[in-house]
Amino acid sequence: MPEMAVPAQASPVEPTSDAEARLRTLMIRGLEGDSVAHLALLRTLSGHLRGYFARRLGTGTSEVEDLVQETLLAVHLKRDSYDRSLPFTPWAYAIARYKLFDHLRRRHRQVHVPLEDAGTLLAVEDTEEGAVRTDLERMLQRLPPRQRSLLEDVRLHGLSIEEAARHRGVSPVSARVMLHRTLKWLNRAWHDENR
Amino acid sequence: MRTVDLIELLARDTRARPPRATAARLLTALAAGGALTLAVVVLGLHCQPLQQAARQPWFWMKAGYTGVLTVAAAVTLRRLAAPGTRLRTSPLALTLVLLAMLALGAGQLLATAPAGRLALWLGQTWKVCSPLILLLALPIYAALVVALRTLAPTRLPQTGAVAGLTAGALAATLYGLHCPEQAAAFVATWYTLGIVAAAAVGALTGRWLLRW
Repeated sequence: MPEMAVPAQASPVEPTSDAEARLRTLMIRGLEGDSVAHLALLRTLSGHLRGYFARRLGTGTSEVEDLVQETLLAVHLKRDSYDRSLPFTPWAYAIARYKLFDHLRRRHRQVHVPLEDAGTLLAVEDTEEGAVRTDLERMLQRLPPRQRSLLEDVRLHGLSIEEAARHRGVSPVSARVMLHRTLKWLNRAWHDENR
Repeated sequence: MRTVDLIELLARDTRARPPRATAARLLTALAAGGALTLAVVVLGLHCQPLQQAARQPWFWMKAGYTGVLTVAAAVTLRRLAAPGTRLRTSPLALTLVLLAMLALGAGQLLATAPAGRLALWLGQTWKVCSPLILLLALPIYAALVVALRTLAPTRLPQTGAVAGLTAGALAATLYGLHCPEQAAAFVATWYTLGIVAAAAVGALTGRWLLRW
């Protein structure tokens, strides 16, 4: 019996299917209002995004961390556009690729962003956070005082939205609306800054 | 701000989100823009006598063509508005509807004696038909742009084109309430031209208007 030829390289392993199932579950639970799941989703995704952008732009460049933050903000603010009956990875990959493309276009670089399999997003994970170039902190200084003080209660003093609302004498509902508006405002300010 | 801090902040902003938001927002935009266009048709252009027209096959030929085109375009648009969604067969369906109408119009011209073809093709209103459909499409296109900006289209020129196509097809459907033309050859040409012009406006402006 002749020996069976073993292919030099086995078909690419699929490390992504487990990750896909986990991320999709977290995304759906987050959309149902589970903030713990949403936190876990964004944390896991940030590592994958960093790996993806670093492979395209070079590890350690300040643009990478900027793009990670900008994409996380987009994933959060645009999450209504995710169809819960579909896989999560292609949705996240399309957003990451769009943000990368948009970033390169803004710098007038004619760089082609190849359309790869969405699984490449999950191929590399990099949890080592780099330095940012666009400082969100500085942008937050431009917020109206009421919004800024609410945000500081939540961020710096670690209060929950409900606690911060009580502290500032507003209803929890309007505190939530205020936080959401702040995030949208941040997204816009970012765009204006990097235009 | 560090990325971990940003994530903490984003995770505070979690409320239960309604499912199927993409379809809901696009349908709302079609209803709002369509209502405005309908008002312009009814109040500005006036309807033809609808009780009589609704008994004629040509009335339903026009409504059928533009109505099916509206649905096929809207389905394609919903897929374009959600990142990473495959278009599957919806562009094919769009093309088939257009081709079917062109074939119907060409067949009618061929079946007509050569002397009567030009009159059939131009009707009474060929000069105003396409420009009016384009104008009537603009409120619907504007409403769709507003809705799309809250979503996340990643293929901007295509999304703009299909948004324009959807707006044009719905505008043409509503214009059919006014337009008394009866020939398939007329509809296949001048209706289609107006709808395609709206799609072209969308393709050219989508790149800028839909950026997020």
